[in-house]
Amino acid sequence: MVAIFASLKWRLVTSRVRALSPGKRIQTIIGLCLALLAVGAVAYALSTLRSVPEAGYLAVTGLFALQFVAWTLTPMVAFGVDETVDPSKFALLPIRPATLQRGLLVSSVVGYLPTFNAVILIGCAIGLSFLGWMLPIALLCVVLQLVTCVVFSRAAATSMATLMSSRRGRDLGMAVGFGVLVVYMLATLGLNSGSSAGLGAAAHRTAEILSWTPPGALASLPFQIATEQWGRAAASAVIALVFLGLGWFWWARALRKSLVTVDSDTASSAPSHGIGGASAIGGTLLGTAQVVAGRDRTLMWRDPMRRMPWLISIFMGVAWPLIVIPGEGAIFASAFGALLMGSQAANQFGLDGSGLWLHLVAFGDRVRARGELLGHNLAVLVPAVPLVVVVTAAVAAIRGSWDWFLPAVAMNLAIIVCTAAIATWLSVVVPYAVPQSRKSMFASSIAGQRSASFRSAFGSMLLGLAAALPVIGLGVLGIVIAPVWSWAALVVALVYPPVLLMVLLRRAADQYLSRGSEILAVVTAGDRA
Amino acid sequence: MTDHTVGPGVSGGLPSYPSTRASDPRTAEAALAIRGLVKQFGEKTAVDHIDLDVPVGSFFGLVGPNGAGKTTTLSMVTGLLRPDEGRIFVAGGDVWADPVAAKANMGVLPDGLRLFERLSGPELLSYLGRLRGIPADEVQRRIEGLLDVLDLTSAGSKLVADYSTGMRKKITLAAALLHSPSLLLLDEPLEAVDPVSARAIRGVLSDYCAGGGTVVFSSHVMALVEELCSHVAVMADGRIVASGELSAVRGDAASLDDAFFHIIGGQDRGTEGLSWLRSSRA
Repeated sequence: MVAIFASLKWRLVTSRVRALSPGKRIQTIIGLCLALLAVGAVAYALSTLRSVPEAGYLAVTGLFALQFVAWTLTPMVAFGVDETVDPSKFALLPIRPATLQRGLLVSSVVGYLPTFNAVILIGCAIGLSFLGWMLPIALLCVVLQLVTCVVFSRAAATSMATLMSSRRGRDLGMAVGFGVLVVYMLATLGLNSGSSAGLGAAAHRTAEILSWTPPGALASLPFQIATEQWGRAAASAVIALVFLGLGWFWWARALRKSLVTVDSDTASSAPSHGIGGASAIGGTLLGTAQVVAGRDRTLMWRDPMRRMPWLISIFMGVAWPLIVIPGEGAIFASAFGALLMGSQAANQFGLDGSGLWLHLVAFGDRVRARGELLGHNLAVLVPAVPLVVVVTAAVAAIRGSWDWFLPAVAMNLAIIVCTAAIATWLSVVVPYAVPQSRKSMFASSIAGQRSASFRSAFGSMLLGLAAALPVIGLGVLGIVIAPVWSWAALVVALVYPPVLLMVLLRRAADQYLSRGSEILAVVTAGDRA
Repeated sequence: MTDHTVGPGVSGGLPSYPSTRASDPRTAEAALAIRGLVKQFGEKTAVDHIDLDVPVGSFFGLVGPNGAGKTTTLSMVTGLLRPDEGRIFVAGGDVWADPVAAKANMGVLPDGLRLFERLSGPELLSYLGRLRGIPADEVQRRIEGLLDVLDLTSAGSKLVADYSTGMRKKITLAAALLHSPSLLLLDEPLEAVDPVSARAIRGVLSDYCAGGGTVVFSSHVMALVEELCSHVAVMADGRIVASGELSAVRGDAASLDDAFFHIIGGQDRGTEGLSWLRSSRA
């Protein structure tokens, strides 16, 4: 039975490659080989740590802990990556839970990611073995580490299967995913900001604490045996094995429960409290724009799929200049936030998915088509423009760079509006589908349309920046030559980008009217993802 | 030619028309007239040169087996799928050459497309009504009436994402009726709908038709078509194989079901090959 599971997983993995066209298959295989080479290089680097026993022990302890956290959190952030994760798919088959559990364990270690993990773990095992006879012990430890990761990942996935099969559960998963991203970024920034001497001491302290956790215990076990710390070694072995046993028990319980309970959570969302812009009436350009902007504003707040990019943009817009970039020049780093927020106007039709039909059957005239696009832009620019100005002012105040406030704010205004203008135009020229019931905060495009989503997202940012160059140039003159150029930059920033927006918006609206049905066909693919 | 004509210069556009009005006077009299409509997907011809006239005030059923081309036809009629050839007239106006007038006259219920899921039912209707330019207080009045008749008032401020299949069909029907169109185009309006919701939908449609509106709907359920429709068209392999008043299409057959089976050339299949199904537990 276990062999059937392994062969099933192998078929799933290889059939994805077989289903590709010959060109893409070769690309994929080359990509996988390159990835394996890169992973092999990391493993080799880790293996060289055996010449510096202490460094090897420190690095591997941290790596094991990180690996364990990543495996356990993955189901929450990216549930649905693996077809065999959802236990309800096996509920109707006549298999005993214990057999199923063993089968799933084996199938879990078949695949690209487990293979890459195994290669890195072998590197770790060599890195830990500064004495030759330690290698078998280290290898046993890395096998246990991989099994522990898989068992806890599966236990978490199984426990959450019911939750993640419901819309509310997926909403929660996205919120937790965002929390993880923020904590990760802050932790990385915190580590990077320390001095190198402080970092060494901190790493020692962290490794000492981590060595009492199960993954850390496995990483430090060979070192403890080699240095004859028998008491600590025994404690580490007990910690690791008991933890693995608990994980196995948790998984077994979750599996039994998921096989006999209904696979859905019927909890509904909080009731709505009214739609934005409820007094606006469509028909005219501004009226239609207000109606559409009101709906967008409501959905931006209510729909995690729309809310999450905003949260990330705002977080990056604030964190980048204030936390990452030191000194007075940070004020120009606020342009990053402007760029991200301007690009929120990208793929305006993909976000609605096949719901776009409601707009297509409602009107067929230019005025309302322009009104719809203007509405989408207002929903982005009305909150984003003041926000960027406030962030720029805050950075100027905190870092004492008021001299550069004028050119910086002019550049940011130009970047945000120009990016929105280009994004609006690309929404019509390169529309792409967005998975409508997405199970991961990072899944923003579907197979077969990745190129379109890449062109749209990066095209908006690069062309947006290029379109803002006249204002950026005047701003640079204001800094380098004379402040009067900064005033010129501000005046141009207040006139030129809105004109560009209206010109591109008119072109986009005309194309939207003539290509509406083709755009609908493209974005409808998101329903099936 | 109006501003909205899809000209030959536009990518994927139709050939330019001599006029947005049809030269055939019969198309002006019909609620919906289709002439020479064609749609191909790769090698497969999904809709193959069909002509159809739907009289004003009729309850028109479009029936056919799976893959016959019903949804493709209705998608082209509603302006959601561009035809390869042919013309479609709603109240005499060309749907693809003069979409403004045609869309104001149509109410649409497609099959399998999403709504704006994170709005509540009343919010969705309010949004669509105001987008069409109906004053807010009038929209509110119509919403209250529609929700009451379709038994959706109790759903209150629940989001559409949490609606059942029947509720989704009902709220989409309400959206289709909101602007009081003269023609309703409904793709499988009663598919997977519970009997109580189905009854409410049937009642609304019958009243709408009695009031002078025209309904075109596709369905697999022959009994339903027989009960509701005054006219019927049978599609098979992308063609209209029979069309006209219900009694004429049914002819001498015992039921529309039998007539349909005969028209599309269906054959009863024996079940001898499944003898193991009732004789053995192995």
